[in-house]
Amino acid sequence: MPTLFDKAWSPYVAGVLIGLLQIPAFLLIETALGASSSYVTVGDAIANLIDPSLSRIDYVAKHLAANAKNLWQVALVTGIAIGAFMSMKLSGARRQTISPIWSRVLGSSSPSLRYGVAFFAGFLMLFGARIADGCTSGHGLSGMAQLSVGSTLAVAAMFAGGIITASLLLRRI
Amino acid sequence: MSNSVVIAILSGLAMGVVFGFALEKSRVFEPGVIVGQMQLRNFIMLKIFLTAVATGALVLAMLNGFGFVKLQPKAVLYAADLVGGLLLGAGIALAGACPGTTLAQIGVGYRDALFTLAGGLAGAVAFSYAQPWLDKALIGTGPKLIFTDLAGIPYWQGAIALSAAITLVLILMEKLRSWRKDLGSDFDGSTVEADRPLKHRAIPAE
Repeated sequence: MPTLFDKAWSPYVAGVLIGLLQIPAFLLIETALGASSSYVTVGDAIANLIDPSLSRIDYVAKHLAANAKNLWQVALVTGIAIGAFMSMKLSGARRQTISPIWSRVLGSSSPSLRYGVAFFAGFLMLFGARIADGCTSGHGLSGMAQLSVGSTLAVAAMFAGGIITASLLLRRI
Repeated sequence: MSNSVVIAILSGLAMGVVFGFALEKSRVFEPGVIVGQMQLRNFIMLKIFLTAVATGALVLAMLNGFGFVKLQPKAVLYAADLVGGLLLGAGIALAGACPGTTLAQIGVGYRDALFTLAGGLAGAVAFSYAQPWLDKALIGTGPKLIFTDLAGIPYWQGAIALSAAITLVLILMEKLRSWRKDLGSDFDGSTVEADRPLKHRAIPAE
């Protein structure tokens, strides 16, 4: 029986738990699980302080509206950080400040190289997710479960992009 | 703030905590697991992903089949789904994270994930500025197409069929390689030693 003190659960237990989260998402918020829109809500809220003309773009105004869907998703991703922190504390699976795999994957143990790659990767990830209108959660978990044609294409492209990039740029670990 | 917004925020936090527990306990938030999946040598990510899709499909087959909820599929945008998906995947491989698991990495104290988050916010803002132009040039609009509509059968039937097919695939995958072998000795998805038994054997015993 999995407990909160375990260092690892079976992927099947975790997958069922994540899939069941669709119930409150659909019943309470009338939306599917997703994560990447929250980056627009938070990023644009910050950028709008510097450039108030940003909110004249309809897409931005839609994501900055203080409504249930937008704030629910910001709360969801905040909760992810809190949940992961609690889980790590309960099991004692403490981590180093950078995963040891990166020095092997990148061929360098320089933290500043890793930080630069991480920033660039985050940029690509969200720019791509917003073009496709969804990420691993919105297109992957939710779109595929709803048998969406577009989401299936986006997920196939996502895995293709990841596999090609890993084989071209990353060392095998 | 209206009551519904407060309820949305509180339920979002609670659901996020459950999500964060599942991501941390299953180790799928580990860069070693995500990079390993993209290098096709660690299959924890795919197993969780497929299990969550199958569970979600079963749940929605019931909720939608009995008329409790409407489906919320995204519009099919062939060019945008393809180009956006490729960029997203490239970012995931280099970040060793996706937009959701980045937050789990921050929660456990991975410092580079703060840079992934900052880059993600910058990417979202850059997209926002480019959106009016990209919308015309690439994204456009499309129908909210689902496969069961193409086949002319009710959604719940297709969803149950998908869950059954995924279950069979997962049973086969688990037979071929147990998830425990992909955890790594420090639960970080790094299975270097396990991958190279021959090299170890080649070293003469002292």
